[in-house]
Amino acid sequence: MTATFERTWRQTDAIVRAQRDYGAGFRWLEIDVPAEFTAPVAGQFVQLLLPAPAAVLLPRPMSVAGVRRRSRGRTLEFLYAPVGAGTQVLAQLQPGTHLNLTGPLGRGYPLHEPGTPVLVAGGRGVAPLLMAVDELARQKRPSTLLFGARTKSLLAGLNDARERLKARGGRLHLATDDGSRGVRGNVMDLLDALAPKLPAPIVIHACGPHGMLGALARWGIANGVRAHLAMESVMACGTGVCRGCPLPRSTEARTRVLATGDGGSPLLGNPEWAMCCTDGPVFEARELDWDRVA
Amino acid sequence: MSATAAIRKALAPERVDLGVRIGPLALRNPVLTASGTFGYGDEYAHVVDLRVLGGVVTKTVTVEPRAGNPPPRIAETGAGMLNSIGLENVGLARFRTEKLPRLRALHATVIASLGGETSEELETLVGTLGGESGIGAFEINFSCPNVAAGGARYWAEPARLEATLRRLRARTRLPLIAKLSPDVTDIRDTARACEAGGADALTCVNTFVGMAIDLEYMSSRLGRATGGVSGPAIKPLALARCHEAAHAVGIPVIGSGGIASGRDALEFIAAGAAAVQVGTVTFTEPGAAVRVVEEMRAWLAAHGIARVADLQGSFAASAAQPDPVRA
Repeated sequence: MTATFERTWRQTDAIVRAQRDYGAGFRWLEIDVPAEFTAPVAGQFVQLLLPAPAAVLLPRPMSVAGVRRRSRGRTLEFLYAPVGAGTQVLAQLQPGTHLNLTGPLGRGYPLHEPGTPVLVAGGRGVAPLLMAVDELARQKRPSTLLFGARTKSLLAGLNDARERLKARGGRLHLATDDGSRGVRGNVMDLLDALAPKLPAPIVIHACGPHGMLGALARWGIANGVRAHLAMESVMACGTGVCRGCPLPRSTEARTRVLATGDGGSPLLGNPEWAMCCTDGPVFEARELDWDRVA
Repeated sequence: MSATAAIRKALAPERVDLGVRIGPLALRNPVLTASGTFGYGDEYAHVVDLRVLGGVVTKTVTVEPRAGNPPPRIAETGAGMLNSIGLENVGLARFRTEKLPRLRALHATVIASLGGETSEELETLVGTLGGESGIGAFEINFSCPNVAAGGARYWAEPARLEATLRRLRARTRLPLIAKLSPDVTDIRDTARACEAGGADALTCVNTFVGMAIDLEYMSSRLGRATGGVSGPAIKPLALARCHEAAHAVGIPVIGSGGIASGRDALEFIAAGAAAVQVGTVTFTEPGAAVRVVEEMRAWLAAHGIARVADLQGSFAASAAQPDPVRA
């Protein structure tokens, strides 16, 4: 939307500070970056390139779960599941290992937006929302986090989430498909029950499987609620150059792009496709065509 | 081991002359960015000083804007990747009014990559952009594997290439570089046709057509059945095509395919290329092309080779290593 889009990402050498098991196959990773590395905001991601020679060629896009300031530089925190060839190698990296990091990339959650923020997480999608809790706390705004998964073990880092919310004065609501923790059902059930009780307007910030995000998008559109949804895609560059991570734009967004010649993309303004990496990864529900999102 | 290495004294790196000529176009060094891997040049300008590159080859521009192919557009493969972007680009009008002015401001040597489904479309592009300042040459993309019309297969006909280049030649005095597909029976045929049509240089090669299947869903891992393979996996394949083309024509050849280091680049130069393009590695390392320049300089200095042009074509087949391309 802006003609003077400022690119702040850099590629930098980074060092694994710590890595630990996070239960149910999840991992918690901490990486030290130099002070010149711009602090990411919740919802932004970095491209994590394994040390050469690596089993995989491309860097792995990874959502940031937290940022801590150190005396010199910063520590970035990540929550991930070692499910593919790249993340399996990543899971083996010992503290002190050098790797390469590009970022911060993409657009994060607009957490300054007025209203009552409602954070919605599905499984390991909780990562950027843990960071959102911190940011909202800095704004002196309490968080309400709705957290769902298939079963209790997949509520990734539940204890950390609970502690963070406790320390920052927020509320946690849980749902599992099998009823093993919290309400039996999903985050939509939580949202339906909770939304009428919260001061209007509410603003949703969410991350999780695309099916969940699609349900939230439709709910937001039907109820006149803004919903900011962090999407995923296979990516090559992560910087908008390769055009490899398209998501289908809504008719509304397409019309706007055709009219203004600029879809909010600083790079191209393609009316058909938004790029997950630079137009997103966080999209307001009305920006995408949810019937065509894979 | 190079015979020259044993007898020459190392030089100071700054004494190495990296300048090359691509027909009438003089480049400060032989390293260009490959089309489609560097955007329109300004996307990486905050992390890469474009003035230290030989030149920037833009994303392919077509007459009308193109939205590109449905996702997925990227699939990682062994030591490489498949892409199915489908020539997504802003189109001629916006390239001219929005992208070119930004590129001019960066003082890069700009090679505009042009794509067309017909000779007429390419003529329109060359005719329209030929009068613009800030363009050093045109690279004609005769080899996109990811479009339904006007792609690599359409342009694999030598007679069509020759006729089209004749028409383009009549429309512009700027250097014309023909970018060729590796997926042909004999790249010498397409290379010679381009030379006969008046091309000033060739780029060898574009991506190789490839596939990847998700067995669980029994579907392509791309939005289309096939895509183009790039990255380290294709370097030996590209090097052989480049070597073959370079010895079939008298015009300069620009090597492309999996180049990620100074040594990779110098292999292409030794095989006969006058210059090289750095592509997929830029996705993992935006500053890769600059590193390639410095690594080339360091290798040449260490081996006492004062001019990169002196290395061009140094690889010579021998009786022990027969070379079918010169047979």
